[in-house]
Amino acid sequence: MAFLFLGSIVSFSQEKFTLSGTISENGTGETLIGVNVIIPQLNTGVVTNQYGFYSITLPKGEYEILYSSIGFITEKAVISLSGNIEKSISLNLETESLGEVLIKSDVETLNIRDPQMSTNSLSAATIKKIPVVFGEADVIKSLTLLPGVSSAGEGASGFNVRGGAVDQNLVLLDEATLYNSSHLFGFFSVFNPDAIKDLTLYKGGIPARYGGRVASVLDIYQKDGNLKKFSANGGIGLVASRLLLEGPIKKDTASFLLGGRSSYAHLFLPLFDNDNVAYFYDLNTKISYNLNKNNRFYLSGYFGRDVIGISDSFENNFGNTTLNLRWNHLFSEKLFSNLSIIYSDYYYGLDLKFIGFQFDTGISNLNLKYDFSHFISEKVELRYGLNSIYYKFMAGEISPTSGTSGINAFKLTDKYAFENAIYVETELKLTEKLTVQAGLRFSTFNRMGQDALNIYTNDNPILFNETLQIYQKATPIDTISFSRNKTIKSFANLEPRFSAAYRLNNTSSLKASYNRMAQYIHIISNTTSPTPFDIYAPSGKYIEPQLADQVAIGYFKKFENYSMEVESYYKIVKNRLDYVDDADLIANNAIEQILLTGKARAYGLEFLFKKTTGKLQGWIAYTVSKSEQQTPGRNASEPGINNGDWYDTAWDKTHNIAITAQYELTDKWSFGANLIYQTGRPSTFPSGQYEYNNIVIPVYESRNSSRLADFHHLDLSATWIPKPNSEKRWKGEWVFSVYNAYNRRNAASISFSENTDIGRNEAVRFSIFGIIPAITYNFKF
Amino acid sequence: MKKILLFISILGILYSCEDVIDVDLNESESRLVIDASMNLWDDGNFQTTVKLTTTAPFFDEEIPFVNDAFVEIIDENGLILPFVYAENGIYVSTIQPQSGVNYTLKIRYQEEIYTATEQLETVAPLEFVEQKNDGGFTGEDIELKAFFTDPANIENFYFFEGLSVRGASFDALKDEFFDGNQIFGFYFVENIETGDEVIFNLYGIDEQFYNYMFTLLQQSQGDGPFETQPATVRGNIINETNLNNYPLGYFRISEVSTISYTVE
Repeated sequence: MAFLFLGSIVSFSQEKFTLSGTISENGTGETLIGVNVIIPQLNTGVVTNQYGFYSITLPKGEYEILYSSIGFITEKAVISLSGNIEKSISLNLETESLGEVLIKSDVETLNIRDPQMSTNSLSAATIKKIPVVFGEADVIKSLTLLPGVSSAGEGASGFNVRGGAVDQNLVLLDEATLYNSSHLFGFFSVFNPDAIKDLTLYKGGIPARYGGRVASVLDIYQKDGNLKKFSANGGIGLVASRLLLEGPIKKDTASFLLGGRSSYAHLFLPLFDNDNVAYFYDLNTKISYNLNKNNRFYLSGYFGRDVIGISDSFENNFGNTTLNLRWNHLFSEKLFSNLSIIYSDYYYGLDLKFIGFQFDTGISNLNLKYDFSHFISEKVELRYGLNSIYYKFMAGEISPTSGTSGINAFKLTDKYAFENAIYVETELKLTEKLTVQAGLRFSTFNRMGQDALNIYTNDNPILFNETLQIYQKATPIDTISFSRNKTIKSFANLEPRFSAAYRLNNTSSLKASYNRMAQYIHIISNTTSPTPFDIYAPSGKYIEPQLADQVAIGYFKKFENYSMEVESYYKIVKNRLDYVDDADLIANNAIEQILLTGKARAYGLEFLFKKTTGKLQGWIAYTVSKSEQQTPGRNASEPGINNGDWYDTAWDKTHNIAITAQYELTDKWSFGANLIYQTGRPSTFPSGQYEYNNIVIPVYESRNSSRLADFHHLDLSATWIPKPNSEKRWKGEWVFSVYNAYNRRNAASISFSENTDIGRNEAVRFSIFGIIPAITYNFKF
Repeated sequence: MKKILLFISILGILYSCEDVIDVDLNESESRLVIDASMNLWDDGNFQTTVKLTTTAPFFDEEIPFVNDAFVEIIDENGLILPFVYAENGIYVSTIQPQSGVNYTLKIRYQEEIYTATEQLETVAPLEFVEQKNDGGFTGEDIELKAFFTDPANIENFYFFEGLSVRGASFDALKDEFFDGNQIFGFYFVENIETGDEVIFNLYGIDEQFYNYMFTLLQQSQGDGPFETQPATVRGNIINETNLNNYPLGYFRISEVSTISYTVE
């Protein structure tokens, strides 16, 4: 027995060596994410990580290695592996040569084998080709063209993934959490497309290295900055302009990136001729430093603000700030590590000048992450790490802004919390056909001491009045203050993650996944569309963490020039917060008095048919889905919300079709088009009216039981490069676009009220974007 | 605070437009609507009215009156004060509300009994009106502020109304953020002109009525994209015979301060 066992070790312990290195783009030195490193002889391979690093351990021997990535010319290398080899190479952009792509099928074969499912990646180049409103390339608007991703509508902040709420998305920019992904109420997203290197959206089968939100992870990496030469690119548009500068500080060693973007003030309120403003700006900065081949440092920052003001009566400003320092360190050619220290905050400020009232609120956190990738063998990759986040929730501070203001200074109670997690995940090639990814995350959340924690009779902050059949706030019987170091409530969750890919043949595979996710912080919002003043609140004595379980299965097929993905998912979320009817959330210091806990569920079927090569490229995405919520009463005598029945969430869209296409006619001209069709979003309409105090009041039907009219529009764009073959450094292009080409008047909302001029009730449709032509000039040098 | 939402909605003006459309609505069953109030003015005058109507389909132009109900108010000593029907669903009586006394409204309608019990809520007096001629979003509109001083160290709630031929402004206020200070009710309607007379009323109310009115006012303005999820608001009146056939509306007893102002 022992002999047999020993024998098997011997047979496996044939001499092995590690091939590792970093892949970058030739010309800029920018590291490349997701490059396939393939060893055809062994029918195996790896993919570069977020920092362009790869490592694979192989038996001693001579190998041909292929380095390939979409949009780049595949490089071949022959390597004689008789010791550990460091092989860093750079790839050339495909467009810079006239030759056709060499090998494409191998790239896709690897994807067929990857157990990771339910993801969508977009390159900055793709995003820039998609026509959007005002001609401004936009990350989130591009994402919503993919299956399973939608937004509540034009003018709604954020995005919804697989029936999840906006606050259930983890949005990471260079690993820092962003709390608000939209500028100007969703008209733009906060990401400057010029500064983005790569983005991946995880909709299901979410790896164990991510946690803290239950619906999705949007992981965005900024460019590191050009290591070879100074370069700039930018654009001038009708509503906004941007400029990005990058270059070496020390050639091949250190680089910088500085990007800025701003919309023009006053632009949004052209109807008024005085001091109204509505604009946004953001700044992206990064410094990268390669100390040596084992140590790299990145310092990056983001700062964005929106400013909206109405004459001298009102001013509103809000935005994200992040600052982070990362250290990539190679302990060995098999062990890659990244240590990040990240500060992130979101601020919202409101100045009601006509009252003399200032309100400031926000959330900030300090985040320490240490992640390891251990490339044990060509069959096994192990990732593990830890994550510790300290939060401060600034619930709000009210201050008078003038001596004559009747407002008293008042501070809502700040709250503090620690979120910690450790995880391990592994990818195993079990057989030639079956690859699995399994992970486990253990997360804890400690609500730390605060001032004035409300205490209620029976710990019940919300009472039900049986005679009036309404929920009422309970009166606290006491308030207790705790030391900041003391934990007042703690939670712990084990979050298993599992996905598997079974390769049916070289061009198709079946995948399945399960994930459990825990979410400890919640956006407190009961508006029909998300808004920038929706503020996060932590779990604690009265709020339980949200827990989601999701299963998904999928079929993936690769044709010569096409790919097809079909996925189905079912998701259930426990402890989803809901708000009693007519709860007032603004500057509410006792949010627990208006909250009830329910659950949410979502299920759907997604199709993605994609053409990735040739002059005509694009995709057709179709999703049929359901997203619902239920908040039953806490006992038999309580009705809960909506009588305890399941009801559609405000972002439930039964059918969602997006067709997007780009056609390259000549070197000079290329064209793009989107066609979008969605079922109208649920809304609550009146089912009657009455008068009280001579005011007309609607009687409402049950929550979200009607729908707005179907939402659809067609967008077109044309890109003209005047001198495609110019040898000059300066390269320019014009983008002409038309959003909503047939001028569909899509309702953002329907308002039911009395028109007091004529004394009659009316349904008023509010539509945001009619046909919008735009022109943008993009340049680089 | 709901004004914030209103202001934000202004952003919508940008590239947007509004138009009146036809919408097919579901119809809910008809309910009794009770608008009952006892008001005691600061000059000693008092008025008690109960207006009974029913709910109607949303786009109907007429609200049906109820003229066949039996209405009375009973004070805590058992004294029964009957009402007589006047017109347009209005029933009247002459009762001077006394502070600290419970009054129970009792209505019999279609063999069902509706009741609610309330007490008089006092109010701080309106002091003066301030006019500003460069207000509003355009900076050219007339805004009026009617000032009063909130009593310190006690929780107070107010219902404010400004009425003129040009239109009405309503607001429900709580002193959470202005306890003990001089503060104002805000009057802003379009097209107001020099010479127009505006009547301001400030009613003393309790927290429950504040919550009720706050929501009602929000709903009467229609639900824009940033409004809260609307739901039918329940008042303080119970159908004792059939709990499910609940009425809408409210029974309120207020001290009222009033001030009249001519736009300059």
